[in-house]
Amino acid sequence: MHIPDGFLATPVWAALDVAAAPAVGYLARRAQRGLEPAKVPLLGVMGAFVFAAQMINFPVGLGTSGHLVGAALLAYTLGPAAAGVVLTAILTVQALVFQDGGVLALGANVINMAIAGMLAGYLPFHLWGTGRWRRPAIFFGGFLSVLASATLALGELLLSGVVMPAAVLGVSFGLFAVSAALEGAITLAILQALASINPDFIRKPQLNRGRALAWVGLAAILLVVVGVAVASTHPDGIWKLAGETGIALHAKALLAAPLADYQLGLLQSVWLRKAGAGLAGLALIYGACMVGGRLLARPRGT
Amino acid sequence: MIHRRDARAKTIAVLVFLIALATARRNFLAVGLWYFAILVAVTIAARLPILAALARVAVVVLPFTLVFAAISLAAGEPLAAITLVGKSYLSALAVLVLLSTTPLPELLHGLEHLGVPRYLLMVVQFLYRYLFVISGEAQHMRAAARAKSGSLKRVFFDRSKFGAAAGAMGVLFARSYAHAEGIHQAMLARGFQDRFRTLSRHAFRGGDAAFLMTAVLLLAGARVAIEAWI
Repeated sequence: MHIPDGFLATPVWAALDVAAAPAVGYLARRAQRGLEPAKVPLLGVMGAFVFAAQMINFPVGLGTSGHLVGAALLAYTLGPAAAGVVLTAILTVQALVFQDGGVLALGANVINMAIAGMLAGYLPFHLWGTGRWRRPAIFFGGFLSVLASATLALGELLLSGVVMPAAVLGVSFGLFAVSAALEGAITLAILQALASINPDFIRKPQLNRGRALAWVGLAAILLVVVGVAVASTHPDGIWKLAGETGIALHAKALLAAPLADYQLGLLQSVWLRKAGAGLAGLALIYGACMVGGRLLARPRGT
Repeated sequence: MIHRRDARAKTIAVLVFLIALATARRNFLAVGLWYFAILVAVTIAARLPILAALARVAVVVLPFTLVFAAISLAAGEPLAAITLVGKSYLSALAVLVLLSTTPLPELLHGLEHLGVPRYLLMVVQFLYRYLFVISGEAQHMRAAARAKSGSLKRVFFDRSKFGAAAGAMGVLFARSYAHAEGIHQAMLARGFQDRFRTLSRHAFRGGDAAFLMTAVLLLAGARVAIEAWI
């Protein structure tokens, strides 16, 4: 989904432009260092390929057809840095030459599709791209890339105050899920065709599990800190039920818990309290999993 | 006259336009109409076909925007609907006018002077250059596939047709890849040294400065005036 100009609120598009600029610069430098200089024509031509491929219809039946978006495919064949550069170039040409997507909104579109969407698509391949789970991993990667970009775009529109009642959101998500599944299927099919033409086209993911997990950890931390600020304060289902049936009146805390109500009492502002509690919870769970894992993995018979 | 202005001046003018438009909230109708008038005047002064330009932008922008505008209207916010349509349409029109008065290589060179990484701009330039070549090949493959396939139209998911499309994409990928190798060898043989060169000398002259100042006055200045007096 290419967001046009005029949809996003000024703080949103400005912040995303500011965030996208160094990210794209980093990807450009990374791509330049990783490949030989020969690759500039390659990146351009691959971008043209994805552009052209987006115009080919894949018949799905019942008179409808889908088409490739290409973020995952590019990441699996050129690597994430080069794929990010190619996707940024595609979005730039689409915005400037075809007026498909805004110029001020280019930062938002780049982050949604060329960076976050592409990385979300690359992660499953990086973790499980070799071995038995290769094909589901590729499908899942294509699926995630579209779902992540679309969800981010919807989130940015909501944040900007674009009117979107719940019904519209529901329908949009349904459509996104279908497109995402289609992208997974098309990506997998094309990758299999490529494997039979020349297996060297597809990269072999150098599994650096530690680094991948570090990125997932970073994302979890970011979610806690940022998400808590924008999360809803309405009671969830169980609380609501307890309130309506009167059970809540009889509820008593048996122990004085240190992080009661998900708030770290020491700190001042509400946001810091909740974020602090969230981070403490993350650390506790991580520690518990590590200890539990070590205990369970002890060799038997020792 | 407008075609000959330096790409950097035109780019900055369009950026000022876009930012002034995006941040407009009060009296949007008046500001929007004024900006529309400016764009029409510039289009006619640049001797571009005005109706074709308006129609082209409408075709690209309106289908997506009108859906959201309709939702906003249904939710009882007509001003939001008008703002959505107005801003997206005028922004796209401004970009179209910029691209119609500035050849892409010049525009990219101007962007390089303004700080965009050269690597990215070179990829953009190659992409644009080979876009129509590769699309042409894709159309050929499509026509060939249609000529060879049977007339039976399956109602449900046709695995073989899906696989055939994927196979065709794989072949197009391989051809594009090989194409790129050949392109690079040819460029090296002709003395390519990692940067594109253009013929014109890209001087930011007095005329360009005057153009830019006029643009800022007409866009930002007028908006301040409208919001203060109406």
